[in-house]
Amino acid sequence: MKSFKLSRFLTNLGAYLILTFFALIMLFPFIFMVTTSLKTPDDTFNYPPRLLPREGVEISLEGFEKPVPLYLIEKDGVQSEFALVESGIPAGIYAETDNQSITYSVPLDQAKPSESGEQFVMPDGTVQPIMDVLINGNIVQLVQVGKTALGRFIDPEDFSREVFQVVRTSQPVTKVTAHPENYTRVMTMENMGRSLTNTILVTLFVVIGQLVTSVMGGYAFARLRFPGKDKLFVFYLGTIMIPFVMLIIPLYQLMVLFGWTDKLAALIFPWIFSAYGTFLMRQFFITVPKEIEEAALIDGASRFKILYSIFLPAAAPALATMATFTFLYAWNSFFWPLVIINTGNYENHVLTLTLNMLRGRASDSANLILAGAAISILPPFLLYILGQRFFIESAMSSGVKG
Amino acid sequence: MSRKMFLVLSVIIVFAMVMSACAPVVVETAAPVETAAPTEAPATMEPEPMDVTLRWRTRPDNQAEIDVYSSVSADLDAAMDGVTLVYEPGGSETSSYQDVLKTEIGAGTAPDVFWIPGTDVADFATRGLILDMKSMADATDGFSAGDFYPGPMYHLTFNPETNMTGEALWGLPRDVSTFALYLNLDLIAEAGADDPRELAKEGKWTWEAFLDVAKKVQALGSDVYGYGANAWWGPYGVWINSAGGNFYNADRTACGLDTPEAIAGLTFERQLYVEDKVAVPYGEDSEPPFMAGKVAMFQNGRWATPGVRANANFNWDVVELPTGASGQGNWLFWGAYVVNAKTEHPEEAWKLVQMLTTAETQGKIAALGANIPSRMSQEAFDAFLTFTPPANNQAFLNGIADANKPTAEGPLWAGSWPNYDSIMGPMVSKVLNGELTIEDYQKTICVEANKAFEQ
Amino acid sequence: MQLENDQKSIKQTQMIIKVATYWHFLLSFSGIFLLFIILYEHGFGKIPVWLSYIAAILLGLLSIGSFYSGIQLIKNRRQGRTASLVVNYLGLIISILFLFQNLGVFLGVDALANTFGSSIGWLSGVLIGYLVYTAGDRFHYRIHIEEMFHKIGKYIALIFFAIFLIKAGLIPALIFLAKQMIIPTNFVIVFISILFGLAIWAMWREATALYLNRTNAQTEALEGYLFLSPNLIGFLIFFAFPLVFSFYISLTDWDAFGNSNFIGLTNYFKLFQLNLKQLANSSQDFFNVMDGSIFSELLRFNMFGKSYVLGAADARFWIALRNTIVFGIVTVPLSAIPALFLANILNSKIPGMKIFRAIYFLPSIAAVVGISLIWQWLYNATVGYINYFITIGLDFINNIFSTGYPQAQIRWLSDSRTALLAIIIVSAWQTMGFNTVLFLAGLQNVPKELYEAATVDGAGRWAKFWKITLPLLAPTTFFVITTTTIQAFQVFEQVFIMTNPPGSPGTSTLTIVLYLYQNGFQRFQQGYAAAIAWVLFIVIFSVTLLQFRSQRKTGAYDV
Repeated sequence: MKSFKLSRFLTNLGAYLILTFFALIMLFPFIFMVTTSLKTPDDTFNYPPRLLPREGVEISLEGFEKPVPLYLIEKDGVQSEFALVESGIPAGIYAETDNQSITYSVPLDQAKPSESGEQFVMPDGTVQPIMDVLINGNIVQLVQVGKTALGRFIDPEDFSREVFQVVRTSQPVTKVTAHPENYTRVMTMENMGRSLTNTILVTLFVVIGQLVTSVMGGYAFARLRFPGKDKLFVFYLGTIMIPFVMLIIPLYQLMVLFGWTDKLAALIFPWIFSAYGTFLMRQFFITVPKEIEEAALIDGASRFKILYSIFLPAAAPALATMATFTFLYAWNSFFWPLVIINTGNYENHVLTLTLNMLRGRASDSANLILAGAAISILPPFLLYILGQRFFIESAMSSGVKG
Repeated sequence: MSRKMFLVLSVIIVFAMVMSACAPVVVETAAPVETAAPTEAPATMEPEPMDVTLRWRTRPDNQAEIDVYSSVSADLDAAMDGVTLVYEPGGSETSSYQDVLKTEIGAGTAPDVFWIPGTDVADFATRGLILDMKSMADATDGFSAGDFYPGPMYHLTFNPETNMTGEALWGLPRDVSTFALYLNLDLIAEAGADDPRELAKEGKWTWEAFLDVAKKVQALGSDVYGYGANAWWGPYGVWINSAGGNFYNADRTACGLDTPEAIAGLTFERQLYVEDKVAVPYGEDSEPPFMAGKVAMFQNGRWATPGVRANANFNWDVVELPTGASGQGNWLFWGAYVVNAKTEHPEEAWKLVQMLTTAETQGKIAALGANIPSRMSQEAFDAFLTFTPPANNQAFLNGIADANKPTAEGPLWAGSWPNYDSIMGPMVSKVLNGELTIEDYQKTICVEANKAFEQ
Repeated sequence: MQLENDQKSIKQTQMIIKVATYWHFLLSFSGIFLLFIILYEHGFGKIPVWLSYIAAILLGLLSIGSFYSGIQLIKNRRQGRTASLVVNYLGLIISILFLFQNLGVFLGVDALANTFGSSIGWLSGVLIGYLVYTAGDRFHYRIHIEEMFHKIGKYIALIFFAIFLIKAGLIPALIFLAKQMIIPTNFVIVFISILFGLAIWAMWREATALYLNRTNAQTEALEGYLFLSPNLIGFLIFFAFPLVFSFYISLTDWDAFGNSNFIGLTNYFKLFQLNLKQLANSSQDFFNVMDGSIFSELLRFNMFGKSYVLGAADARFWIALRNTIVFGIVTVPLSAIPALFLANILNSKIPGMKIFRAIYFLPSIAAVVGISLIWQWLYNATVGYINYFITIGLDFINNIFSTGYPQAQIRWLSDSRTALLAIIIVSAWQTMGFNTVLFLAGLQNVPKELYEAATVDGAGRWAKFWKITLPLLAPTTFFVITTTTIQAFQVFEQVFIMTNPPGSPGTSTLTIVLYLYQNGFQRFQQGYAAAIAWVLFIVIFSVTLLQFRSQRKTGAYDV
């Protein structure tokens, strides 16, 4: 009995581990997006990458005009915070004469030609003077093998404690910060505020328009008899499988003809007629019992009245499902806007287009680009949290019956 | 029941929105500046015969530039009587600015005056999309094409029908630009390498010296690079030019990429990437590692300066390109303001093109630092030199000084540049990635590339 | 008196029908007149040839319909009423659309977007109204309070909505529209629409219907058409017509500027022009055996000890096709198999399953553009997280096994060997959650009894999976695979955003849709691009068909 419990516990634990692992894979890019969007530009270029936005800590020291950055430096076996007060100090790389793999980097002014005036013949045949070099307070006789540049770090408590070392490989002291102003900045770039409005407007039109036409068409297919109905329905069904790219060129030419290129109208009106939506609504309306409708007809109700007082209320979940479907499609579409809306017309951009522009214009600022991405990605997430059921159902409804 | 009400409401919303939609068109026409919308109002409404509205467009690289162009537009608007200017910033480099412009011209929604890159002038001109302003220019007092750099003007006055230069005028250059090496001075000092700026002053800044610096920096670690450049025709073109080669033959009617000189240039560049591995791998964007302080010499144009100023937190400066067998081989990049062939106001558009390229306007834009004036005027140069850092601005001017024989970026009148580029780019990228040997490249490149001349 | 009235109304109806009959004859004659103008004069100036043909066909059909209804109306037949209503309805719709287009109503959306941002806040007032309204439902036991709430809610909503409309510029819009109406063309169109409207009214009114012996079936059919009409008209204009039109474009050398010549199948010939030649040795250059100015080397291979080279006139097309197929073949299992696996785990009733399901679904609701931007930075070779994670992993392995794997410096997006893989990973990552939800839905339809029975029979976990789950899940699997394949074959956005220039390095991520885009909208060979679209369609269609047939063979589709 005990072993059964144990094995069950282990199975569940394994299941959770796997699920959590995949959940992390799914979530990580979004977490990365949000945290990076709060960073400073040079923080985004840091390697190894840091998830949380961080900034170097600076300190004001007496006798220095500007605040100086702090670094974690090891001196005398103890690691503590030092301030970088000077960088780019010319220095030499000095090696021991008998073992040239042991080297020290020391500022040039701390090395003098040895009083003995001795010379040393390097393995490659060149001749170098032996130098007296100050290392940890002792003078050591070494030979110069190269040049470099060092930074001077001092202990903020005790200025006389100083360390010379390469700045690039030193470890700066950082603190976690956040720069939400990246968002306000990116909203003013590329007219993003306007493109957000446009996206909302276009999505609203497309969702409402598609609901209206699909409900009416679905009702006609589900409940009304008219000549040619079955053939038309088969035709509708057949077109669901046709990929969108087939239409892009003729539709573009059609828009040119209508004078809709570069206009929001091109993003709306071709998309409010959906064979798929009609099909979905028809499938739903077919399940509504006929008796209520017949009773209403006998009472003399018109078809419109029946549709909105009987069918629509019953269809609320189906409508919500279809609305989420359409919403995602309209909000996220990129290819068609790319083709039809011109880059120059800032007034009519939608978010995806603006992101594409931002990618070019702020290519060196990951923080801004990802703030832009967050602006386009987070609203659907918000809706998703509110109406998760409909999102999942919209996916399932497309799948269960094929 | 509430649902019913909401259905009714939403139907009303749809209708009302459509209805209310037209209104602001009127409002906008009344309000000046900024918004680009007014032209879409039907022509029949409220004719104002005296005032001409001109739309113009450039492709700025950042918000600061957009602001400068907007203010330029406002100034010129005030200076031009009877003309209202509407400035609209174009797309960025990655969003196919030119292609979209072409479709706009096709659809009749393009602006009156717009900027296009130098390589695209031929395509626009031979498709009949832009206006030949030669006759208007001849009738204009005080206009001289000789005030501008001769390289761009050679292409801008080329007449494809007579195959002669000086017999047309397709536009005037907005500005010019050129390559330099952006230096991470901290990294170079740490590597103990010589300062390239000093070497350049002494005239010792050669390919060998360059390679030496790159190797020394590379020795600091595997995540540090001596050299970085981005993957497009500009950077590899420089090495080819510098070795004495060229993309085309002398009269630009056939491929010239397989000449010994061109091959020598590419061989050296391949050495940086494949044999010595001192460069950021080809195709990888060099900008992030440079900003992260991991690249010593980053080859880029003047347009990269604002970004470096904003993001680099190390000591940096610029230096001119190292000299090869045939000098620096730098590019003279340029783009031109051209006039839409379908414009209704050609005279005003021509006037605007001139106003946009005066020394004063150019000085103003040059003071922003992104580009170099296209007019060889001291006034504009001085404005350019005041923009520091980088301290060594002169490196850019040296790059395009006549003495250094820069190659002007140019359109391809005899073939299709986009096709040529789309054949050349992938093949060169294979060479620089080590997937294709120089020998195989030399054998096939021109067989393929010449197809771009056959249409 | 009553009789007299009836007589009078019958007379009136007859009169109305007579007028309608004349109207129909007038309509058909003017239709034919217009048709001749279009065909012989290429009337209306600048319209393209293809459009004039379509207009001619439409006009012809309408004229015939109108003539037919006229004839039937003379004979007082039911069909006359149906035909008349259909013709007039179409006429009304077309003229109203024309009017809207002329008035710029459709383009008004742009202007609305201008004011929408500042006025959208007022719409929240409508929401408040709705809340007040629903708050009333709590008092359903006291009807007058409930009604009061409802009333107040309604008014609040209406008032805020009115404010919204005014803020959004309703009044200037109406003034603008009124001004536009004075223009003669608009006026004429309005007049024509009114005529059509009157004709509809004439036929629709009860008296006419009775006089013409309407039946219930007729009414239902008319209503059916009416309900379907918005959908059907839009569908025809924006879907069915473009589809046919696309094929026509593929037979021309259409550019984006309106120039086109009919060139037959030339585009298709160019796409499929291949040339297979034997080589003297495996390193001989291809242009020694075929015309280098037409063909480019596509691939060389060895068969029976001899070397061959395959050249193609449009090698990039074939490369794009190969990339697309590779993309599809790898992406589909990569997104379906983990999804199946996860769905099975999620299906065991352990707590928290809904949270995991919700998380897995997240990527599929985000814009591909946004996703691609994120991954572009994750993939960055020098500072990206992916290489960092791999480095950590390698360091770990190095420490444990004291091996010496170097630091990961994989250039995901700039190395031609990994670029396509990088795109595949992103796409699979994005569709995986969606597929998981689909599988989960399928699994929940599998009857529990089967598992219980199998457990009794002593079947293990694996046996149950292979013998029960998989066969019963076959329809879902089929659906998942088909939709993912169709999607995969259309991959574009990821490549367009993540690689720069798109399709790079070299041609390693050039896909069919990207190639179509480049041809249609960068080089302006829209005829050629349309031909590529049709080839893609045929590829997708045949793959789907294949899947469908293999599905049939296993016989599991009829669950």
